[in-house]
Amino acid sequence: MSDVRLVGIKKSFGDNAIVKGVDLEVKAGEFLVMVGPSGCGKTTLLRIIAGLESADSGDVVLSGQRMNDVPPRERDVGMVFQSYALYPHMTVRENLAFGLELRKLPRADIDARVAEAARMLELGPLLDRKPKALSGGQRQRVAMGRVIVRRPKLFLFDEPLSNLDTALRVQMRGELARLHRQLGVTMIYVTHDQVEAMTLASRVAVFNKGVLQQLGAPLELYHRPQNAFVAQFLGSPSMNLLDVRREGAQFIGAGFTLNAVGDATGDVKVGLRPQDLRVSAEGPIRGEVEAVERLGFDGYAFLKTAAGPVAARFEGGDVQVGQSVAVQPTGDVVHVFTADGARALRHPA
Amino acid sequence: MTSFARVLVLLLANVAAAAPLKLWHGYRGGEEEAIERIAKQFTKETGVEVELLAVPYDALSSKLTSAIPHDAGPDVFIFAHERLRQFHRMKIVAPSTTSLDASKYLAPSVTALKLDDEFYGYPLSIKCLALFVREGIAVPTSTDELERTLPSLSAPNTFGIAWEAGDFYFHAPIFMGFGGELFGPDGRAQFDTPAMSRSLSWVKSLQDRQLMPQEVSGALVKTLFNDRRAAMVISGPWFAGEIEPSVQYSVHPLPTVSETGRPMSPFLGVEAAFVSSRTTQPQHAQALAKYLSLGPATVTRVTLGRQIPAELAAYDDPAVAADSLVSAFRTVAQNATPTPNTLEMARVWEPMKLALKAVLQGGVPPAEAGALADRRYRALNRDAPPETSPLPWLIALSLGAIGFIAWRRRKSGNTTFAKRYPEARRGLAYVAPAALGLLVLVVVPFVIGLSLSLFHHDAGEYTFVGAANFVDILTSRGYRITEPLSFYFTLVVTLLWTAANVVLHVGIGLFLAILLKEPLLKLRGVYRVLLIVPWAVPNYITALMWKGMFHRQFGAINAILGELGIEPVSWFTQWSTAFAANVITNTWLGFPFMMVVSLGALQSIPADLYEAAEVDGASKWTQFRRITLPLLRPALLPAMILGSVWTFNMFNIIWLVSGGEPGGGTDILVSEAFRWAFQRNEQYGFAAAYSVLIFCVLFVWSQLTKRISGEESS
Amino acid sequence: MNATRWKLFALNAGLSLVCVATLYPVLWVVKLALSPTQTLSMSANPFPEAITFEHFRDVLGSTDAQGRWLFGRQLLSSLVVSGATTVVGLSLAVTAAYALSRFRFPGKDSGMQLLLVTQMFPATLMLVPLYSLLQLLGLLDSIGGLVLVYATSSLPFCVWMLKGYFDTIPRELEEAALMDGASHWQVFVKIVLPLARPALAVTALFSFMQAWNEFILAATLLNDATRFTLPVALQRYVGEYKTEWGHFAAGALLISAPVMALFFALQRFLVGGLTAGAVKG
Repeated sequence: MSDVRLVGIKKSFGDNAIVKGVDLEVKAGEFLVMVGPSGCGKTTLLRIIAGLESADSGDVVLSGQRMNDVPPRERDVGMVFQSYALYPHMTVRENLAFGLELRKLPRADIDARVAEAARMLELGPLLDRKPKALSGGQRQRVAMGRVIVRRPKLFLFDEPLSNLDTALRVQMRGELARLHRQLGVTMIYVTHDQVEAMTLASRVAVFNKGVLQQLGAPLELYHRPQNAFVAQFLGSPSMNLLDVRREGAQFIGAGFTLNAVGDATGDVKVGLRPQDLRVSAEGPIRGEVEAVERLGFDGYAFLKTAAGPVAARFEGGDVQVGQSVAVQPTGDVVHVFTADGARALRHPA
Repeated sequence: MTSFARVLVLLLANVAAAAPLKLWHGYRGGEEEAIERIAKQFTKETGVEVELLAVPYDALSSKLTSAIPHDAGPDVFIFAHERLRQFHRMKIVAPSTTSLDASKYLAPSVTALKLDDEFYGYPLSIKCLALFVREGIAVPTSTDELERTLPSLSAPNTFGIAWEAGDFYFHAPIFMGFGGELFGPDGRAQFDTPAMSRSLSWVKSLQDRQLMPQEVSGALVKTLFNDRRAAMVISGPWFAGEIEPSVQYSVHPLPTVSETGRPMSPFLGVEAAFVSSRTTQPQHAQALAKYLSLGPATVTRVTLGRQIPAELAAYDDPAVAADSLVSAFRTVAQNATPTPNTLEMARVWEPMKLALKAVLQGGVPPAEAGALADRRYRALNRDAPPETSPLPWLIALSLGAIGFIAWRRRKSGNTTFAKRYPEARRGLAYVAPAALGLLVLVVVPFVIGLSLSLFHHDAGEYTFVGAANFVDILTSRGYRITEPLSFYFTLVVTLLWTAANVVLHVGIGLFLAILLKEPLLKLRGVYRVLLIVPWAVPNYITALMWKGMFHRQFGAINAILGELGIEPVSWFTQWSTAFAANVITNTWLGFPFMMVVSLGALQSIPADLYEAAEVDGASKWTQFRRITLPLLRPALLPAMILGSVWTFNMFNIIWLVSGGEPGGGTDILVSEAFRWAFQRNEQYGFAAAYSVLIFCVLFVWSQLTKRISGEESS
Repeated sequence: MNATRWKLFALNAGLSLVCVATLYPVLWVVKLALSPTQTLSMSANPFPEAITFEHFRDVLGSTDAQGRWLFGRQLLSSLVVSGATTVVGLSLAVTAAYALSRFRFPGKDSGMQLLLVTQMFPATLMLVPLYSLLQLLGLLDSIGGLVLVYATSSLPFCVWMLKGYFDTIPRELEEAALMDGASHWQVFVKIVLPLARPALAVTALFSFMQAWNEFILAATLLNDATRFTLPVALQRYVGEYKTEWGHFAAGALLISAPVMALFFALQRFLVGGLTAGAVKG
């Protein structure tokens, strides 16, 4: 187990600044998920931790030791790649044993560890196959096994599930969570999929444009996003953000008014999660149904309103495209942000 | 007695022999055996070891001129005397004046070795042309007699007389018999003379009346004589070894030309043992060379190697006197003229060959041949450009270098080196060994090659001439733009050659690859292996094989045409057929590469694309045009570019198949450059200028293609 | 069904015809080698009418003045030269190509350009400076000099081909190995090289063939018959005035046999090795 501390990490490729000064602490044994849209710098940050990339400035500290100029093999870090990066010319067994052989472990140890990893990941019957004879899920497990056998203090994952189909992804998510519990090591996991972030993480770090937006437990981020970006990035469908002006006890938007909450004044943004809005006959915001996403008994309707697109939940009933409907907040649900979205001013209790 | 004295001198001079003497020669067969035996005998008598090296005769001269000045050559070498002047100018031969006893040899053979009051080398044997007459046929002593007897000896496919009429060595006696003078009063070669056209008319009339065969090669002469389909043959002493034992013949002097009353006078070639100017053991070397030329050595050479000796005493040796061939040639040699050992003589051959082929094979009237040869002569023997000062060039070069460095400095801007190149150290370590090797053995010669183009080379001396070589080439000085020697003509030929080959390579290769892709084909593997055979065989072997197959009389291609009832084609006398022969050969050699590339590229096209097209109702042709071709481009384009560069510089095929025939018309830029460098007085500077121009053409081409393929990918 | 069968028949017939045309000149070499004469003969038939191994005996049995077995020594010399060229050339090319494919360092782009550019200058014209250079290095008339010249002159092509192939190997594999604890050199030797096997095979084949077949340089640089490579020896049978076709053909077959064997042994790599670099698109 190892804790990770990043201090003022900056990295640019040519004139293109990818990571713009990130400070981050990962506690030992934690499962940290770094999430953000593509190009936000999360993968680069992971590679800097791994030692595959060197930061232009700032420090990488692993278990209290500054690692900036230490090559990857001496960092005691394991990494699972998005493409799995299995060595095509080696069998599964050789793939698993490769790292151990490089460390000149005794043969018996190697065999024991490979056998253990194979048991843990149910790779037993596949050990003598080459990677090209494996299915996607099997490859993914081998990639994981390759890290497990080495028993590093820190596991890094670079979007490991993005090449799997939905069902497999759900299954592997479960296995990953189990693995984390079983091994109890520190894991840093990069993904652009907020569902993975929410389900796997002890804490989530949201990145955008090379800057850490917020770091916290998944539900904390969901309920108390520090800015409009985090608010919109987490949750599906994403939060409705509407421009309003506070006038007295009211938020006045384009074609609607809401009861004002909090003490913000002037131009602000209000954030309403679709889950907190109900399609109904009457309500403060009206619009025309443009699309319907029915999940079964309930679902989401996507409306075109004078203030812009708004998504809202519905239950049962008959919601048709083209219909004119209203939405109704289900209680104290309004988030308030500054007009530029950079700061949250109020969250519902 | 003399041999004893010689041994004594040697022993006194150097008791413990140092390194073995190196002796280079171009002999094969019996002659080689003789020289080996003589060398052994020499070692036995003197204790000096001799190391022999047999070099193909064609390669010997260039090997000598490059090796000796670099102290890598032999101590003694055997060569024909015609090159003596050139060897002398390059300072690779040592005089033999003090130890050569001129009275011991046939007078003309000693004259041949004389240069500016000094003698060089020791004459070994003589060679000249004679008339070989089959037994039972009256020996003609004049051309009138000859012409009277020839018709009765000739029939379809049977000829009264045969010789290699396309070679000036064989035509020279006739030319001189007609009163020809090779050199004018100013000592320069002359071609446009009455003797030239009269002698050519005479030969042409024999050929037109089918009294002698057309396009004669050495092999044909031999076959005709052995098959008794030629009654007489003009050839040299070497021919005796090619005659089958069952054919009885005698050797006679060439007939007199009745029109002038002069005898036909063949060139007398003298083979001599020369001592290298750079030998570290001059005494031993002189002794060896002399030993080769006299006494028992001569007898061995005559009896074993069937040489015609230059030594007078040899003719009294019973073993030699018994050889009727030797005595016959001694008689013949009395009419012979030693081949002039002047530089000017070396310049005669190529224009003369051009004229002969033009008249005898190309239908040019004999009267115009002289002018043709004359023009070629003038083109080949350009005067050395005036020497200029290299100073302006050096200044321009250094200014350019400074400017370039400054520009690079500015361009690299303010980012630090370490940030720009984080892996620089590792990267440089990986490339260093290769870079060092390339620098020393590729880049340095390349740069020297480039700069040579600013010099004029003459017998080992380089003079700086600036851009004069380029000016001469690009202004086509000395010949019309439409003549084969002109840069532009050759460039057009080269481009045609490249285009034709690349199109055929890619067309055939792609076609076969598509055929081989047919999934139902069971024998695919077998076909593929058989079809890449041409790639696996060394190309000079197949080039020579194809040249053989294109042979006018003995070639398989004409045999096939014959079976199909088509007249045999004389492949190398017309530009179009000679060019076609080159292209056919190279196509055969080159299509497997493109086939393999296409196969690989076709494999990378997903099959579902075709299925999708099928569903869309696209025909096979549309599928090929809209799916196969566009998707093949990324793989085929680089291969085509590489192929075009290779073809552009494909020296072997041109050199070995058509050899530039007819008249240099099918030469491409590289073979032309090679000729200037190694066949026309070693004009390295001029050749280097050609190479630079080749380089420029290819460079422009590569930039062009880079842009094309770059546009495609973006 | 019937249409398919017709199509197959036509396909087989067509391909057989092409194969015959392709093999015809080769059959002629065989015929000449086995026929008792030294000359060409006017015939379209590529099969020998009488068979003799006399030419092979002559070529194989050639000895020099000291009675040394020339063919054996020349074969050995050819093997040594070609083998060494392959090893030297490949080890130089492989590291250089890897660096060019993976690392950024100053002069990389101009280096790549230069590699290509040197290919455009006619090789025969480099002979004159090369000769003086080798003398300077004391490498004239030595197998070592010849090997170095061959290895370097085939470098540009080898480097380009290998670089193209290395470019197709995913970087992640190397990073994975780095994470697994490999040093950069171990990554190169244990991951990159095994993965580049097809390209290595093809490049080795080309280097070997180039050295095995070359004769202009070898004939110019070597001055000792026992060290001649086989093509130089073969040159003796082909004169400007006289070609001993029988000896030439027999020698040609003997020389071609090993390269052809090698070529066919490695031909399954050709398709992949040659095109991988270009197709990655």
